[in-house]
Amino acid sequence: MSDTVILHLEAANNQIPTQTQTRRWRALGWALAPWVLPAALFALWWLGCERGWIAPQILPPPARVYATFVELAQSGDLLHNTLISLQRVLCGFVAGTLGGLLLGTALGLSRTFEAYVLPSFNAIVQIPVLGWLPFLLLLVGVGEPLKYILIAHAALVPATLSTLQGFRNVPVTLLEASRVFGYTRWQRIVHVVLPCAVPTLATGVRLAFTKAWLALVVVELVASSEGLGYLIVYGRQLFQLDLVMAAVVIVGAIGFAINRALDALERRLRRGLPSAFR
Amino acid sequence: MARFTQTFLSRNAPPRCDCEVDRGVNVELAKTRRLPDLRGFVLPALAFAIWWAVSAIHGGKGGLLVTPEQVWHTTWQQVTSGALAKALGASLAREASGFAIGTILGLALGISLGLSRLATRMIGPSFDTFKQISLFAWIPLISVWFGLGDAAKVVFLSLAALLPVAAHTCDGIHAVPRSYVEAARVFRYTRRQLVWHVILPAALPSIFTGLYLALIYSWLATLGAEYLLVAGSGIGNTLIDGSENFRMDLVLFGIVVVGVVGSLLSGLARAAERAVLKRRGGALLKENV
Amino acid sequence: MTSVVSEGVDIDRVSKHYATLPVLDGVSLRIRAGEFVSVLGASGCGKSTLLRLIAGLDTDHSGEIRVAGERVRDTSLQRGIVFQDHRLFPWLTAAQNVLAALRNAPLSLAEKRRAVAEHIALVGLEGFENAYPHELSGGMAQRVAIARGLVNRPRVLLLDEPFGALDAQTRGRLQNELQRIWQHERITMVLVTHDVDEAIYLGDRVVTMAPRPGRIERIADVNLPRPRERTDPRYVALRDELLAGFAQSPIVQP
Repeated sequence: MSDTVILHLEAANNQIPTQTQTRRWRALGWALAPWVLPAALFALWWLGCERGWIAPQILPPPARVYATFVELAQSGDLLHNTLISLQRVLCGFVAGTLGGLLLGTALGLSRTFEAYVLPSFNAIVQIPVLGWLPFLLLLVGVGEPLKYILIAHAALVPATLSTLQGFRNVPVTLLEASRVFGYTRWQRIVHVVLPCAVPTLATGVRLAFTKAWLALVVVELVASSEGLGYLIVYGRQLFQLDLVMAAVVIVGAIGFAINRALDALERRLRRGLPSAFR
Repeated sequence: MARFTQTFLSRNAPPRCDCEVDRGVNVELAKTRRLPDLRGFVLPALAFAIWWAVSAIHGGKGGLLVTPEQVWHTTWQQVTSGALAKALGASLAREASGFAIGTILGLALGISLGLSRLATRMIGPSFDTFKQISLFAWIPLISVWFGLGDAAKVVFLSLAALLPVAAHTCDGIHAVPRSYVEAARVFRYTRRQLVWHVILPAALPSIFTGLYLALIYSWLATLGAEYLLVAGSGIGNTLIDGSENFRMDLVLFGIVVVGVVGSLLSGLARAAERAVLKRRGGALLKENV
Repeated sequence: MTSVVSEGVDIDRVSKHYATLPVLDGVSLRIRAGEFVSVLGASGCGKSTLLRLIAGLDTDHSGEIRVAGERVRDTSLQRGIVFQDHRLFPWLTAAQNVLAALRNAPLSLAEKRRAVAEHIALVGLEGFENAYPHELSGGMAQRVAIARGLVNRPRVLLLDEPFGALDAQTRGRLQNELQRIWQHERITMVLVTHDVDEAIYLGDRVVTMAPRPGRIERIADVNLPRPRERTDPRYVALRDELLAGFAQSPIVQP
């Protein structure tokens, strides 16, 4: 082989590793990209506190927040308040969602019931959960019932509407097919309507939780002596922002985790159906 | 029965022509204007009658069980004294500012995220995580940084509006079908033309969903902010004051106002959406997002 | 080596791979200006890919494609394309959709509007200029797509199974329309289809492609006068021949 050919071959051999190298770097960059922003913000935060650009009352240094976090965890306060919040939200959520499913089913199954009840329900829906807070404050005072009722209401509304929508969104094509097969009303409901409605129900349940969690935070911020929201208010009043931030992080983390779980569940339930339903 | 059939038919209109049957069209048409169904009034009328009766017997003595007359009286007083106008005006003004700021920033953020895969990758996950944290949890922090007055409220409202707008704008842009982008490539569209004439119009329904949600959320946020950042006036303040002073009539009045304003706002958003998007066909706003 | 610059489409030993999968293998074809060529083949034979390469939507291939002597490097207003899904922009009316194709054309607005009107008339949709795509039937929407493909007066119009999504009657009607338009405009057209009937009915030549790897199996001349008679024995014979070719396993014809 001539020299030029050998040179070309060598060059070609050296190029291939370089190309793979570039690709590897790029893949690494892509994998790390989501962390750039949080890392930069964190660095800014830390630096700002170190250099004294930010007063500790405005924004405590990361170390302080972490220390508070650890303190809370160790003293059992964190667990205590978290459990209280979780208990409230779960009870309210379950009650509201079940109620919503029942109500939605009743509305979906009976046009008569829908005609009587839905307009009133729609009117009540217009009033946001927050709007009911003062009313309930007067009725039941600042106690546990307030939280449960509010959270349940927050969950009930999307659950009902989603359930109803699930019933109404069954494609005509399937209903007609079931008519051709001579399904009784009951068979149609159990074998056609319910399976079709399940994905919408799953979405409704997820939405219900999101609203319930939101309601929990608000009611604990406004009228509570225990719970994560209370921690936030307490910290705020004492200007202990590290406490506030630690509590906010926990609120975010829990909400995120449960939301993720419900999202995965919803996706599981939707998987069985053709794309027209998703 | 006839009405039922009519609703059924309009909800499931036959395809425009045979060729559509294959596509399996299941278009959700706009709800037809039903004739007022009086049955819907039965329950409220009954509830009202019970309230009247019970309060006539037991109530009206300065306790929690107020009579309809008291509520009416309070309403009248609030309206004529201008207190309602003041409170509502303040609330709506704040909401409008928050909505405007949040929408503009949200659109900017959403469009940048939508158009740049890199930006989405870098900022998207942080943004999603941030979105998950219940909005109201931020109020105490915001109150430390911005005080208890209008500034803090507007900041909070802007945040409440920004999140859904940015999210839906970004999603809408990502969802623009590649087929449209390819068609535009054949027409030699520059990047600017592509964004302005193809991507944004295609993403418009999603953007509108974001705007609709921003309106609703910023209204909710207005109320919440007024509960928690008590300086100033607003309809939320009226409600909280009412509850603190054991004025059930005031609270009921406030609730009705809040409900009415809420439904007006969502009606407004829907009408706007219909006006802009009706020509395209396809499903309109879903009820619960 | 020919020194005459061909006015038509020159496909010169084009090959393409997706990872290790060969999609096209050494495809060569010369299309005369003003000719109507049908590219026939089952799914997976690479015919749509070939069309996209001609259009310039995809430039990752070996070999050369030239249109009117110029190498295809990217999309161009000189190469119009009609997709199977009409891809009309749903927020624009029919006329606006056709106008959208002219956005970068070197014409004045008045000239553009005139071109739009002409081409709407050409596809027989007068009166529907202000209809939105969702208000049009599938066949009508596809006609708008054809008008949109032609409005730039391209050198070649590429059609990727344009009537595949339509019912038989509409398909037959639109085939006639396309034939009429082609005879009127005399633009080079390349039609990709899996329908043997359609290929013979419309084409001057039928290029049959075989899959795995995608290559040209045979090129048949359709020497029948237009308008074609589907009952003409020569037509039927050719159709049977081509269909038989499908039934067999593909044999590479040198």
